[in-house]
Amino acid sequence: MTKEQFYLIIGMAVVTYLPRMLPMLLLSNRQVSKNLTRWMEFIPVSIFSALICSDIFFWNGELSIQPLENMKLLPTVLVFFIAYKTKSLIWSIVFGVGGIILLQWLI
Amino acid sequence: MKNRLLLKESFKIIYPVSIGFIPLGLACGMLLHDVGFSVFAVFFMSALVYGGASQFMVASMIVAGANVPTMILMTFFLNLRHLLMSSSLSRYFKNSSNAFILFFTHTLADESYAVNYNQFKNHQWDAQHALMTNQIPYLTWVLSATLGGVIGEFVQIDTVVMNYVLISMFICLLVIQLTSWLFVLVAAIAGGLTLLFMVLLKHNISLIIATLLAATIGYYIDQWLEQKKAVAKS
Repeated sequence: MTKEQFYLIIGMAVVTYLPRMLPMLLLSNRQVSKNLTRWMEFIPVSIFSALICSDIFFWNGELSIQPLENMKLLPTVLVFFIAYKTKSLIWSIVFGVGGIILLQWLI
Repeated sequence: MKNRLLLKESFKIIYPVSIGFIPLGLACGMLLHDVGFSVFAVFFMSALVYGGASQFMVASMIVAGANVPTMILMTFFLNLRHLLMSSSLSRYFKNSSNAFILFFTHTLADESYAVNYNQFKNHQWDAQHALMTNQIPYLTWVLSATLGGVIGEFVQIDTVVMNYVLISMFICLLVIQLTSWLFVLVAAIAGGLTLLFMVLLKHNISLIIATLLAATIGYYIDQWLEQKKAVAKS
């Protein structure tokens, strides 16, 4: 384990543990404020969308929306469909990876 | 005897979640090993952090060349949602000691939270059962991920494929949460802003800026809609 990895893991552990632990330890009966709750509800969708978009629209480090050059684009459409239909992580991965392997093999 | 019954009753409720964690843990361990974590580091991370989505996210961000503070910040925002889970469970742990709460909350994950919350609300359930219900998937996750790391020693995954495992998973996690059109809109805004900032700044901090902006925009749209509804009513 490198020093950097160690700091990363410790940092992740702290920022994950605190939101899990503090409310139960301190709140006892009160709830998190309604405004904060509402704002936080939008965070996960935003993060996942940011992670997806920061990846799929780039090919070899360059912005690319050409589906024949950037081979991540077409399988993405497929995975969205599969995820919507099955709501299953495993099936999404199977079709996504299968799709991109097939496309690489075809082109 | 009492402990065995406790284990049996909790296991009966939580085993589907645990079984689901096995392939995900294996995949996570393999991916983390592939981006440079030793088997021990995979174990260390899984045991200390215990966050499926954030561990996958970090694997993906390391490939993208993100630095440590950016990844910790992203983990923080991704796991902020646990504030809500923790606070909604708090009323059931009023009689528990602080030491118990410190121990219990370390293994608070989305899936076991959902099961525990439902049990507390609709069935006979107590803190001891809830703890067991947390720990079974936790142990499954740590063991599966570590085993995945060991498998990673022997199996090399193609980088494009590895990357796409992560993308497929993020897409699925996103789709599951798109429960209303407002979430779809916020996701679209987050995506658009990410691209904009990525092109402008050429830095992974773009993801954090886009996330916070999109969530804030979503919050204000939500409030605006609520006000409009209130006006229409009166």
